[in-house]
Amino acid sequence: MTTSISQATDAWSVQLLQTSAQLRALLSTQLADLPEQATEDFAKVFEAADRLETMLGDATQKDNTHDLMNVLAAIRGYAEMLREDIGAQSPALDTALSQLLAAVHAADTAEVVATADSATDDRVIPSEPGFILAVDDLQENRELVARNLSRIGHFVITAASGEEALLALEQSDVDVVLLDLLMPGMDGREVLRRIKEHPDWRATPVIVISGSQDMDGIIECIEAGADDYLFKPFNPVILQARIKAGIERKRWHDKEQQYRQQLERNEKFIRATFGRYLSDEIVTDILERPEGLELGGDLRRVTIMMSDIRGFTTLSERLAPAQVVTMLNRYLGAMTDIIMAHQGTIDEFIGDAILAVFGAPQHRDDDADRAVTCALAMQTAMAAVNALNEAEGLPALKTGIALNTGDVIAGNIGSERRSKYGFVGHPMNVTSRIEDLTAGGEILISDSTLHSLQGEFQVGESQELNVKGIDESIVVHQIKGGIT
Amino acid sequence: MNNTNPILLVEDNELNRDMLIRRLNRAGFEVISAGNGQQALNLMLSDKPSVVLMDMTLPVLDGWTACRMAREDERISHIPIIALTAHALEADRLNALAAGCDDFATKPVDFPGLLIKIEKLTRA
Repeated sequence: MTTSISQATDAWSVQLLQTSAQLRALLSTQLADLPEQATEDFAKVFEAADRLETMLGDATQKDNTHDLMNVLAAIRGYAEMLREDIGAQSPALDTALSQLLAAVHAADTAEVVATADSATDDRVIPSEPGFILAVDDLQENRELVARNLSRIGHFVITAASGEEALLALEQSDVDVVLLDLLMPGMDGREVLRRIKEHPDWRATPVIVISGSQDMDGIIECIEAGADDYLFKPFNPVILQARIKAGIERKRWHDKEQQYRQQLERNEKFIRATFGRYLSDEIVTDILERPEGLELGGDLRRVTIMMSDIRGFTTLSERLAPAQVVTMLNRYLGAMTDIIMAHQGTIDEFIGDAILAVFGAPQHRDDDADRAVTCALAMQTAMAAVNALNEAEGLPALKTGIALNTGDVIAGNIGSERRSKYGFVGHPMNVTSRIEDLTAGGEILISDSTLHSLQGEFQVGESQELNVKGIDESIVVHQIKGGIT
Repeated sequence: MNNTNPILLVEDNELNRDMLIRRLNRAGFEVISAGNGQQALNLMLSDKPSVVLMDMTLPVLDGWTACRMAREDERISHIPIIALTAHALEADRLNALAAGCDDFATKPVDFPGLLIKIEKLTRA
């Protein structure tokens, strides 16, 4: 806002300075009779009047309503005190003081008129309140900006140098930086560079302010990451509009950031929670497919693996619970590594039993081959697991592994409240039945798995099984080893 | 004037500040003063003034912002604030009230009027 006091200045300023001069002249004749305090107060009145005269003579200060008001306020305050203190004993001084007060009053009134005239462009751009950092080495510029922005609702902090600006950025969560380019010491360009290099500040919009119509400087700053610019002297409404745009940009960024952090947290949580049990593929599948967490699934041809430690229940009854847990963790840990290395998907552990699937969520042509290779590797690894067990005085374990290939529904199965990536279908039951028949150290695969194999494996005895609950009979084959 | 807590005067213009301190002292008030909004907030926290007289155009942290910050800090949000603004600038006064000031006084201050406002706000 420009308050052109100058337009209405003449009448009241002349009156004020004149009454002040008269008072001064009058006082010089009576100085000796005054109490010390009154002498001091008069000195203040004249100090203020001198300051007023200087301000009125200085074109750059003429429009500074605030300072002007402070000077008038001081004159009024001291003059009123003086009237209270010595008005009664010196009618001449009392009269002079009341004339001075009338002049102050006239100035005050004149100024209201002057302001009303010039207050045409007092538009305010409504904006969400923001936290603004105004950086300028000149105090009057800082105050002008602070006043302009804070009176419409923003929080404004100011910094008088580049160093102070960086300190302020460290201490507060700033929404927009208003940065003067020309400053002694660390200049605006350097502050801008540091802001844009700082991981936490990079996204904070910076509006650079240039004192001259220095287009090259502005272009350089925009290339260096400045978001907007203003030339001095700037229109306060334009400043408000740019600040508003800056705040909105920052808010969007903050929201986006928050959203991304939430996603990252969720993803970390899901990976941490399920990654222990599930293969990375399922976790990735759930996280990356937008429909990943919807209930339902696809019909997939998969090779199902079930393994079980022979006689584990009887074994575990003889051991202390801690020993059972040690043994089980060692066994399941080793097996999990091998299954994951063969890109199998572990569906669940049921006590000592492992249910894994090859071919979902990701189908590969060698699903059956990898399943068989995996089973062989698991049997081989039992030697190492048992060596560790025996070293601790624990019994050796023997596992039986069954493989079966068929069509299952793979996906998120369950209710809205509780669901898991799982597999449903008749082939699951058949695998379980085959598993029941395997002996320790044995691998049995179904006929369908055998026919799915692409590579050559050492196939041992075949047998036809009649399993309960399943009408048809199943042909199963023993796997003796890999390709010879 | 039975309130034992001082009045906090926030004013960066030393002429005006000295004058108001004198007048308030004469009226029987103890006065502490600050020259900017930041100091004002610090003194509000440490000295719990009974009322704050605050100029709005201040260095470091201006009056509107200081007032808004004071209103957001529950340790000092109850302390009444009287904004000191130039008579001519009506927008400044309205914004001072919007920022959470309880009342305003225009400069040059009408001192008896100011005393009534102080009395009213500290009595409650």
